[in-house]
Amino acid sequence: MAEKKTSKVMQERDMQKVSSVQKIEKIIVQTALYLFLGIIAIIVLFPFYWMLISSVKSLTEYNLPVPTLFPKQMIFRNYIDAFSTANLGTLFTNTVYVGVVSTLLSLVITVLSAFAFARLEFKGKNALFGALLATMMIPGELFTITNYSTVNDFGWMNTYTVLIVPFLVSVFYIYLLKQNFMQIPNELYLAAKVDGTSDLKYLWKVMIPLSLPTLISITILKMMGAWNSYVWPNLVANDDAHLLITNGLRGADFTVDDMVNYPVQMAAVAIVSFPLFLVFVFLRKYIMKGVSRSGIKG
Amino acid sequence: MKVELRNLTKIFPSRNKKVGGEVIAVNDFTFTIPDGTLVGLLGPSGCGKSTTLYMISGLQKPSSGQIFFGEEDVTELSPENRGVGLVFQNYALYPHMTVKQNIMFPLQNLKGADKLTKDQMLERALEAAKLVQIDDLMDRKPSELSGGQQQRVAIARALVKMPRVLLLDEPLSNLDARLRLQTREEIRRIQKETGITTVFVTHDQEEAMSISDMIVVMKTGIVQQVGKPQDIYDDPTNLFVAKFLGTPPINVFKGNVAGGKLYIGGAAVLDVPGVSDRDVTVGIRPEGFNLDENGALVCELSNVEVMGRDISIVSKNEASLNPVIRSIINSDSKIDATAKTVKYSLKPHKVFIFDAKTEERIHF
Amino acid sequence: MVDSKQQWKAWIYLAPAIVLLLIFTVWPIINTLVMAFTEDYSSLSALGGKEFTYGIKNFQKVIEYKGFINCLKNTLLLCVLTVPISTILALVIAVCLNSIKFLQRFLQTIFFLPYVTNSIAIGMVFAAMFNIVGNTAADVQVVETVGIINNALGLFGIEPINWINAGSTYAANIAVMTVYIVWNALPFKILILLGGLQSVNKQYYDAAKIDSTPRIRVFTKITVPLLSPMLAYVVITGFIGGFKEYSSIVGIFGDKMGPAGDYGRLNTMVGYIYDSIKNHQGRASAAALILFGIIFIVTMINLSVSKKKTHY
Repeated sequence: MAEKKTSKVMQERDMQKVSSVQKIEKIIVQTALYLFLGIIAIIVLFPFYWMLISSVKSLTEYNLPVPTLFPKQMIFRNYIDAFSTANLGTLFTNTVYVGVVSTLLSLVITVLSAFAFARLEFKGKNALFGALLATMMIPGELFTITNYSTVNDFGWMNTYTVLIVPFLVSVFYIYLLKQNFMQIPNELYLAAKVDGTSDLKYLWKVMIPLSLPTLISITILKMMGAWNSYVWPNLVANDDAHLLITNGLRGADFTVDDMVNYPVQMAAVAIVSFPLFLVFVFLRKYIMKGVSRSGIKG
Repeated sequence: MKVELRNLTKIFPSRNKKVGGEVIAVNDFTFTIPDGTLVGLLGPSGCGKSTTLYMISGLQKPSSGQIFFGEEDVTELSPENRGVGLVFQNYALYPHMTVKQNIMFPLQNLKGADKLTKDQMLERALEAAKLVQIDDLMDRKPSELSGGQQQRVAIARALVKMPRVLLLDEPLSNLDARLRLQTREEIRRIQKETGITTVFVTHDQEEAMSISDMIVVMKTGIVQQVGKPQDIYDDPTNLFVAKFLGTPPINVFKGNVAGGKLYIGGAAVLDVPGVSDRDVTVGIRPEGFNLDENGALVCELSNVEVMGRDISIVSKNEASLNPVIRSIINSDSKIDATAKTVKYSLKPHKVFIFDAKTEERIHF
Repeated sequence: MVDSKQQWKAWIYLAPAIVLLLIFTVWPIINTLVMAFTEDYSSLSALGGKEFTYGIKNFQKVIEYKGFINCLKNTLLLCVLTVPISTILALVIAVCLNSIKFLQRFLQTIFFLPYVTNSIAIGMVFAAMFNIVGNTAADVQVVETVGIINNALGLFGIEPINWINAGSTYAANIAVMTVYIVWNALPFKILILLGGLQSVNKQYYDAAKIDSTPRIRVFTKITVPLLSPMLAYVVITGFIGGFKEYSSIVGIFGDKMGPAGDYGRLNTMVGYIYDSIKNHQGRASAAALILFGIIFIVTMINLSVSKKKTHY
């Protein structure tokens, strides 16, 4: 009896020991995790920080042999210089115009096509949809070669049309929206038909409100696409009147006295990045949803 | 509004493309629904009852045959021009709209002379909501309602445009047992109050029996029998109808007729004058049995369940085609629950005999 | 419910999409195939009424062309470096993120930030960070600042390196590109992998805990296998993206695709296609088909490997 008792006490003591060892281990592991993630977070954020502090430094301060991590003197004039040097005003208007028009048209086309694929019955529907999905495998560069001569033949060089029309149809967006439309029960459609609702009204009053999150995701991605597009505009529209923001930024000459004025350049980069930050802060949820939904199909 | 179906037929191409061929969902359906009645389309799943309903609504076009509302041929009319209200099995309420918006939705589609002002629409919507007693829920979203309440909203939405015909697809199947009872009274009341010709589809015979003025029993696209619920119960035209209606279900036996007498397992249980000798299937309603010391039908007693007003006796017989025989006896009768056997005589009007091959009713 | 009315209605709804797809997707596929096999095709000489013969000469020319081999080498090198590094790093970060509670949301948001950026604009920031200001030509060393990266490395006793300026080494250039591409690729991969981790049933981990399984074993025997579909997905998309690398190089080196004095050194396959797009459409088409072929083969290999390794 006595033996048993002591062994039980010992066991309890061992258990305590084990649990305190576990506690210490847990604290160490958690600290290491936060340390690691903290360092990565700093690495991720540093370029943005560097962009912001450089954009308000004087050129002299920027070129100090040992760079300062916080500007001694904030020169906001850099932003005004950036605006005029890179002609950002025109670039902004051009890009917003192209972005808004192509987003609106693209939404209309995507909604109509997704509706046809999701709700209407017609011959060859599955074959057509399969063919559309297959085109997603082909790298876009393959289309660009011919599209370059096509738009040239159409006489579209250096117009807004050339920046908008060729990319209005996105098979991916049609796919995304079709999946969303299919989740809406068919009975809603039949109910609306019995009540004499036209297809377009049903689309507008029922399907679009119910798929709003997806439509918002598409809108954001499309607008960001216009803002970030570089290759195609660089090929087909590089006159001043139709220059888009990324091309303008990359092509702008920030040289002063044979030296690149980095602070002004960084100010320009900051201005171009600013709308994207706003989108990120307020609409992050939709972007992450859209991006990760595209991930699920893999 | 009288609804008349003439030789209505619907053929679908077979889903299995390799086999090809066709599936006849509804075969040569002719029937007139009198004005202001509540008609139940009854049958097992796949019998074509929903297809019939969808053809009346106009959502599906018949392969052949015609549909008349009153004297008007509506066969070629699209759903919105027929003036029908349809309530779906899962209600099909628009999830992003409030109850009020859902009910008003059909009114916003009215055009030309029928066009209503906003106030008129609200008034009509409120009227419909009051009729189904949901007028205090007008600003809720469907997700905030119980199943029974959603059902009422769906009915209100169907009624608000004052349809000529109201169609209900399995209206009670998504409700729990208690709500089901309550809602079917409700449907009956609404139909009586509005006097709208109403057709509903169900696979539950009890549901159909309890509220319909008329029942149409269907099987594999073919109408088996049409009539008042009690008439169909008392006088089924074939074995399928007899088996489909009634709880507990009818007891079925193997039997034969010889010399004007009906034999079950060798015992002559009933006189059937005028029926020629042949093999038959015998159906006996649970209430068709009398406890009788001298009864010819002897069964092995399994169990006696006292249900207050009645006694339910479970017994077995070699000739029975059901696993057990269930009879319902008035509780005044005395039965020894410990006995090995039970003896029955039969009530002739509760016994139906069917040809063993064709399963058609043989009258006697 | 198929009726003829729905038939033509469907086609009307699809009409805008189909017309645009015919012009800008279907026709290019056909035309690219034709041009790739039309020897020495260019639209200019076609206008001049030149007669062409069909054959595989374009492919031969592309492959024998030294510039193209250089592009192919750069592309492959960047793919082989960046895809494994970014995938492993993203996996580690995702697993770490998944095992903390406090600040998880906040850190997740920070790690996603680079996704929503303009790769050319931020490329310019990276260039500025790696840049050495001053004249570094061999004879006149007038360095004003070696740049923030070299300063940071100096803390560890590393001598300043000429990363991207004139006279920089190829290895240094590739290192910079690797850092930038990985930085750019992380957010997407972390998002997908973290999403995968969060959908893994917690019971597996509880069961492992009860059996006192060591962390490393949990990682290799539970986490990675359960995550294999997502891993396969990020690797495939990573390779596809890697083979199409172009604008991140433009971001850092400008559209001359290389440091001053050695333009084109870092050109990629896509860059080669764009270079030939105006005057050598035949060669561009052949290169595009080669690119498509490589992407297709790599995707198929990845799929078949991951099918064997994917556990559910």
